[in-house]
Amino acid sequence: MRIKNNLKKNNKQLFEYIIIGNSAAGLAAAESIRELDGAGKLMVLTEEGCLNYSKPIITYFLAGIVGLDRIYFKDEKFYRDNNIDIELDTKVKFIDTDKMFLFSDDGSKYKFRKLLIASGGKPIIPEIKSVSTGTLKSGKNKKDRSFNFINGKNYNKVGGIFTLTTLEDAIRIKNYIEKNGIKKISILGGGLIGLKAAEAFLEIGIDVNIIELADRILSATFDRQASSIIEKRIKSRGSNIYRNNTIEEIYIKNGKINGYKLKDNRKMECSMLIIAIGVSPDTSFIGSGRLEIKRGIVVDDYMRTSAENIYAAGDVVEGLDILLGKNRNIAIWPLAVRQGAVAGINMAGGNKKYSGGFFMNSVEILEIPSISMGLTNIEDKEEKGIEVLKDFNPDKNTYKKVIIRNNRIIGVILVGNIERAGIYAGLIRNEIDISGVKENISREDFGIIHLPADYKKHLVVGEGIEV
Amino acid sequence: MLERRGDLRMKKIYIQEEYCIGCRLCEIYCQVKHSKSKKIIKAFKEEIIDILPRVLVEEIGYNSFAIQCRHCTDAPCVEACISGAMQKNKNTGVVTFDEDKCVGCWSCIMVCPYGVIRRDLSSKKIASKCDLCVDEDIPVCVKNCPNEALKFMDKDTDEKNRIRNKK
Repeated sequence: MRIKNNLKKNNKQLFEYIIIGNSAAGLAAAESIRELDGAGKLMVLTEEGCLNYSKPIITYFLAGIVGLDRIYFKDEKFYRDNNIDIELDTKVKFIDTDKMFLFSDDGSKYKFRKLLIASGGKPIIPEIKSVSTGTLKSGKNKKDRSFNFINGKNYNKVGGIFTLTTLEDAIRIKNYIEKNGIKKISILGGGLIGLKAAEAFLEIGIDVNIIELADRILSATFDRQASSIIEKRIKSRGSNIYRNNTIEEIYIKNGKINGYKLKDNRKMECSMLIIAIGVSPDTSFIGSGRLEIKRGIVVDDYMRTSAENIYAAGDVVEGLDILLGKNRNIAIWPLAVRQGAVAGINMAGGNKKYSGGFFMNSVEILEIPSISMGLTNIEDKEEKGIEVLKDFNPDKNTYKKVIIRNNRIIGVILVGNIERAGIYAGLIRNEIDISGVKENISREDFGIIHLPADYKKHLVVGEGIEV
Repeated sequence: MLERRGDLRMKKIYIQEEYCIGCRLCEIYCQVKHSKSKKIIKAFKEEIIDILPRVLVEEIGYNSFAIQCRHCTDAPCVEACISGAMQKNKNTGVVTFDEDKCVGCWSCIMVCPYGVIRRDLSSKKIASKCDLCVDEDIPVCVKNCPNEALKFMDKDTDEKNRIRNKK
């Protein structure tokens, strides 16, 4: 393993493989390259200052469920044993897709034969008006921390404002909570990251205020009923959710956030704010050129980009959504791992097709687990061929919604009872015709035995299925 | 622990549903195996309430079968696991589960097409699934099935033997 100090030595080196990004997709690619090619020089470049850790686990770190000692996926030995070089703290500045080299921000040049871009996502930070008062303790830097607007460039200069996408973010948040005795945290954005953050904070007894622009939390995957159960639970703890709302103005006192004004003009006190309105593919360093980029980098079924010998995988790409029948950015862990593995095999001369995926998410709020997958925001008879089965028990905190299109399940929401959720994922993935067994689908004891005979046989006595 | 079965590495549990009589002895023996006392009476009296069987019997009328982790080749639970708790052992083929690493995110439950991973809420919230009884010669569910509705075998070798015997 190399560290940055040795960089100069690499300057004229040619790497068989370079991977940008050291998370789910990047690491899966490195592992599958090594299964086919143990020798080709392989370099991983990461912006982060630490070895591989699991990104989604940072909220469990905040909740105190895992400590720093257990957060790392792979240690130095892994990189050494697999003959993988890695440069930490290395941001890619520029890629020449024709001449096949790239520059990092300190001017080092890296040549490659095959490149994988697995740079993931970057938090989206909206521009918000701000009013600063008071002075800083030091008094000197007041100008630096007195802003008319909070945006992506300056938010981290204001005390108490954070994003949450990296381990470094999580450590900073944890330290800030401890140092300032924070009891309540506002979260801007009730989506995936916002809710996972809420899950963590509530777990350690910190109340949350969630501010969500849509009419419900997890609006991308939950419908109103599902949201209402989780919302009720969050509120029962003295926390709150502000729907159809956003932050219009942030108040900064002595260099720290001390409140904000909502869109509905309510003024709120606040000593800590997490901005979690979403992430977008991190393609900033690629610039214009031969790579086709829409919202994410466009890839084909082999995770190849539009430029020869350049592959992309994970949260940075637009891969195939089998339910929509077109490419889109689905930034979730399992797909990042799979895409990375596929890209790695193909980079090392293998031939593996990515069979596409669909959105899924699991989140548990104050003992209420929930899983959503596929296309979930569709109501009964909304389109021709659509049927929706619902079992909503708000008093028991359970909800089950199954969306069927042309006799095939395309979406599921489970709240409260998530037992055997993956059977639905299998039905969606394998496009199983359930017309004969529809009445079984919403049973409480739903299992394999209720599935269509052929598929059931396949699961029970088959060798395995594509999953 | 896994080395013990080095020579039998490709063995898996196969389900013969036509022989299953739904007696649920597999569930009981699985619970006993994963109890503290390992003794059927003691486990049944004192512990079983907290122990999830890792094999599930599904039953409608006379149709029944027992199913447990299939130890898939490209295991979706391993792919989806965010904590590194689910791993595929490349030598034995067993999908191993490390209780200490699990954070209870339920991603494995979300993706397992067999629905054989469950939430164990008895102590700390973690996933629960078949470990193939790697410290036994034969998994206890197979060993204690009175009607051979579960079989522990290497299908490839078995097929070859069958063909050889025919000749």
